[in-house]
Amino acid sequence: MLNYTLRRLLAVVPTLLLLIVVSFYLMRLAPGGPFTSERPLPPAVMQNVLERYGMDEPLHVQLWTYIKNIVCCFDFGPSFSQKDRSVNDVIAQGFPVTLTYGFWSAVFVLVCGVPLGIIAALRHNSFWDYTMTGLAIFSQIFPNFVLAPIMVLLFTLSWGLLPGGGWNGGQWQYVIMPAVALGTSYMAGVARLTRGSMLEVLNAPYIRTARAKGLPERTIILRHALKPALLPTLTYMGPVFVYMITGSVFIDIFFSTGGIGQDFIDGAYARDYSILLGLAVLYAMLTFVLTLLLDLLYAWIDPKVRSQL
Amino acid sequence: MSQSSKRLMSRQFAEDAAEEMITSRSFWADARGRFLRNRMAVVSIFMLLGLVLFALFGHAFAAWSYEEIDWAVLGKVKTEGGPSWENGHYFGVDDLGRDLFARVVQGSQTSLMVGFVAGPLSVMLGATIGALAGYYGGKFDQMVMGLYTIWISIPYIIFFVVWQAFFGRSLTQMILVIIIVNWTAGLLIVRGQVMLLKNREFVDAARMLGMSDAAILFKHLLPNILWVIVIYTSLTIPEVIMAESLVSFLGVGIQEPNTSWGALISEGARTMTFGTLWQLAFPAAFFVIAQVSLYYIGDGLRDALDPKDR
Repeated sequence: MLNYTLRRLLAVVPTLLLLIVVSFYLMRLAPGGPFTSERPLPPAVMQNVLERYGMDEPLHVQLWTYIKNIVCCFDFGPSFSQKDRSVNDVIAQGFPVTLTYGFWSAVFVLVCGVPLGIIAALRHNSFWDYTMTGLAIFSQIFPNFVLAPIMVLLFTLSWGLLPGGGWNGGQWQYVIMPAVALGTSYMAGVARLTRGSMLEVLNAPYIRTARAKGLPERTIILRHALKPALLPTLTYMGPVFVYMITGSVFIDIFFSTGGIGQDFIDGAYARDYSILLGLAVLYAMLTFVLTLLLDLLYAWIDPKVRSQL
Repeated sequence: MSQSSKRLMSRQFAEDAAEEMITSRSFWADARGRFLRNRMAVVSIFMLLGLVLFALFGHAFAAWSYEEIDWAVLGKVKTEGGPSWENGHYFGVDDLGRDLFARVVQGSQTSLMVGFVAGPLSVMLGATIGALAGYYGGKFDQMVMGLYTIWISIPYIIFFVVWQAFFGRSLTQMILVIIIVNWTAGLLIVRGQVMLLKNREFVDAARMLGMSDAAILFKHLLPNILWVIVIYTSLTIPEVIMAESLVSFLGVGIQEPNTSWGALISEGARTMTFGTLWQLAFPAAFFVIAQVSLYYIGDGLRDALDPKDR
């Protein structure tokens, strides 16, 4: 197990390096830059600015410095567009916000999606089952950028129940709508997945055996069927959590939460390479770490997988 | 001779049998029958057709062009810009006093174009690479899979920004960058199918007959995985439309005055606090109709084609 973990962690290093190199060259070779504007700076000033950010050196030297700083001090360099702030500052300020409602969104996805799927499977082809299928289709058709305006329209403009944006230090009223708008489509995905695997498990011979020896239905479901039925859901949740955090760009902008997605889009507009690259690396690391954690969790739950490690 | 064997030997029976063999249905004819029996899917085809006709010929019915500003309502959009038959703004006007009907027609053109061009092309690209990786395996396969893992961890907004810095924001460039971002669509599933099929006897037999790799791939493997590709394409088209809408919503999409469903929804969402709800309602309705019908068409295709469901 330890061996496996180390091997996986080692495999992350070259992947991350390649990601940095590819993104770095992609962005630097594009015409224009963070300091080009309608009225060009005088050449002497431009020279000073470039020197200040180390951009007067050849590209590969800059790349080397960049990677060296990340490796030695976890330093993503200064931001080009936000004066006197480093990328680390930007991440430190925005990331906790995104992480907070991302976490609550994941909780919402699991707490609503899993029971919905189980109920739909247990009451196969009943009212609940059809409601669930309807909900799944609904959430696939209303992506968050359609759902969020409708929610604001109802809960803020019509009924005045919840604030339509802002963060206010993460007070619960401000977290609800971003979390729900972000999670709805994934919640339906989880529900559908749980329903499918639960149906499959319920048809398995060992469940028939459990029924035959007269176990109460509750014991059958909670002790025997639930664990194997949740395995596919678990694998699904890993990438989903990352998608929820990276895909939250829209939520950050629409609800003005001040999360990391806002910086990402601002960085894209201002050609702030250091912010874009820093966030790309952060997202990638998050992806790798989470998938690894999930694989380990998977091995811990499923003995068949464990023996293959 | 017994009665039944006499019947079997009869000329009539032979003719009937031959007739039946001639009219025996192929896999695709079978699937077509199953698809047509799915009522939601058929209705959805007609809804989608309606949308396409709307996008193609809608401008003929519009009283205004999509970039013309109606100075008579500008500044009074909230009170006089709503949908009305009298002044020719059937869907009302947008925030800048432009006719929303014409803009929705134009937006539908963009979104449908992106979906139906970029969707199938990216699946084709992904399927080709996936099939080659699955068929040849080894170093090439490892390289493709490595690239795949890196690719899916790069936030795709970077590509849109960089691409636009190089090539601008025209429709063609949008379609190109979407294909490039989505080259992984269908890759894994086709690769898996090819890996499964390439060890089957009929492929061995073809190889022993001296067929080239290309001939095996196209003549023997492609017909066997075509159903996967068809299903995957039907799933990718709405996804691509949604992706385009999302980047347009974020403001890195198509260039003004051209527009798309996403861009229109974004404008509508921004102005809904002022009470101009029609600016959100009409584009959102078109977007939702497209997604609903594409969803049911995809569902019908899966039911008709997937051998597991039969």
